[in-house]
Amino acid sequence: MSARLDVALHKALPGFDLDVQWTAGDGIAVLFGPSGAGKSLTLACLAGLVRPDAGRVVVDDRVLFDSSAGVDLPPQRRRVGYVFQGYALFPHLSVADNVGFGLRDRPRAERARRVQEVIERLGLGGLAARRPAELSGGQRQRVALGRALAIDPALLLLDEPLSALDLPLRRALRDELRATLADLRMAAVVVTHDFTEAYRLGDRIVVYDGGRVVQSAPRSELLWQPASEAVARIMAIPNVLRGTVVKATPDRIQLRWRGQLLEAVNSPARAYLPPPEAPLAFFIRPEYVRLIRKDRGLTDPSHHMNVMQGTVVEEMDFGTTWTLRIRLDEPGAPSQGAFDLEVEVPHLVYEILEIDRDRHWDFSIHRGSIHVLPG
Amino acid sequence: MSPESLNALSLSIRVAVLATALNALVGIPLAYALARRRFAGKTLVDLLVTLPLVLPPTVTGFYLIVLLGRRGWLGSPLYAATGWSIAFTWYAAVVAATVMALPLLVRTARAAIESVDRDLERAAHTLGRSEWRTALEVTLPLARNGIIAGLVLAFARALGEFGATLMLAGNIPGRTATVPLSIYTAVQTGESGEALGLVAILTVLSCVVLLVAGRLGARAA
Repeated sequence: MSARLDVALHKALPGFDLDVQWTAGDGIAVLFGPSGAGKSLTLACLAGLVRPDAGRVVVDDRVLFDSSAGVDLPPQRRRVGYVFQGYALFPHLSVADNVGFGLRDRPRAERARRVQEVIERLGLGGLAARRPAELSGGQRQRVALGRALAIDPALLLLDEPLSALDLPLRRALRDELRATLADLRMAAVVVTHDFTEAYRLGDRIVVYDGGRVVQSAPRSELLWQPASEAVARIMAIPNVLRGTVVKATPDRIQLRWRGQLLEAVNSPARAYLPPPEAPLAFFIRPEYVRLIRKDRGLTDPSHHMNVMQGTVVEEMDFGTTWTLRIRLDEPGAPSQGAFDLEVEVPHLVYEILEIDRDRHWDFSIHRGSIHVLPG
Repeated sequence: MSPESLNALSLSIRVAVLATALNALVGIPLAYALARRRFAGKTLVDLLVTLPLVLPPTVTGFYLIVLLGRRGWLGSPLYAATGWSIAFTWYAAVVAATVMALPLLVRTARAAIESVDRDLERAAHTLGRSEWRTALEVTLPLARNGIIAGLVLAFARALGEFGATLMLAGNIPGRTATVPLSIYTAVQTGESGEALGLVAILTVLSCVVLLVAGRLGARAA
């Protein structure tokens, strides 16, 4: 699969330095990271609205910008569809005129046909004469998308396309947007700071932090193998912890953390073999920590590995799940402030085990659920 | 009302209309440039345009004489070439009113243009519009109410101009004596009836202008 989008950008601004390089193939690339990481600036550079100091932007073998070759297409000639944060619909124009805004050069009849086509496709039928102020948030988003799509862009850019919407609508439109973008089969770049959104929309996720790319990977790889502790923290993964290496082999890593000897799976593919006593970051997904039932007899080591004991010191009800904060029995300062581990259990489990009454538990973590973060 | 007063009124309206038209021609592009473009000498241009707002009108008038008078920087070559000078003609009243009214239009229109969301302009650029087309189709239509409010204020200012007009155009009855100047003359010569009539007309006109500008301003906000 050839890269459809090849991006290298350098731009120095007062107090901020953007220096990124990434590629994307078919499908949607998501730029993910905290606010102020340079994601929107990247979009502006791709669209030609901001001129980078140096770099190269290639879309499907078409060079939009190349500082070394002196190429810098103006935004008017890039054929880049841009869905702005807040949509930037022209308030003085109707839906139809907004959608048709980029089609001025085409003959009137063709223009009308194209506008009609886009309006139908995005389910905006009957709204053509309305002004943006008379539309709901979801309809505005669709008009903005339609306006960008009407020009048959070579590249589609969406800056926080869902952030202006209420949560329930946001979820529905997220899936709708994913379906629409998948249908179009055009190179698309979406900016978001919400990981769920990034994961739902993106085929590839490019993680930004402080004007740099800290990881670029297919979404499932990012989810399970963040490249570093920094990436894990940007993704807001719970239970990012630090221990010490005891022994590392291509398949397994033994580590010490809070007085416990833990075993984690290593990936032979990435050949990460830190020396003994090296500091090691890892994370444990809260939903993969198992509470051991007290009515099932003694702990069977073949069933349970990485067994620990601790007390629930805090609990939070999230409606369908409970998040329990557990402090290990091990003396010493807990690793995350007042607690050591976050554990997530479904409501049903919480009720069956009567966790509200019983606060002290043995629990285990499968070695495959302890994810080592390379330094 | 005396024929002199009617004459003054018609002159004033002619001057104000022409000054407002010149304001639109010069002031709107200037407001756009100040709001949206970076260029060398921007601060200086901003300063020069705004200065008549704070200087005594006689000082502005003095500068206009230095510039356009028969012995002025621009005026003397013109006089040498054509034997004509703008000073003490009704065109001088138009120039004085234009310069005095310009800061009102430029400041109001500039604020209106600056309040247009830049993402709208960026969107227009990605949709193929040049900066020029974007200004005509997006920025200026969206700043329209502010621009009209500025023109209304400029018209009112031009209608009431006194000091700079007196300096450059003089107070020649039937030629350059606008309503404000005629009021001054009438009071000086004790014709308080004439003065009162003209004062009433100017007051009513100004009230109308303020009401219109206020309504447009409210709609723009």
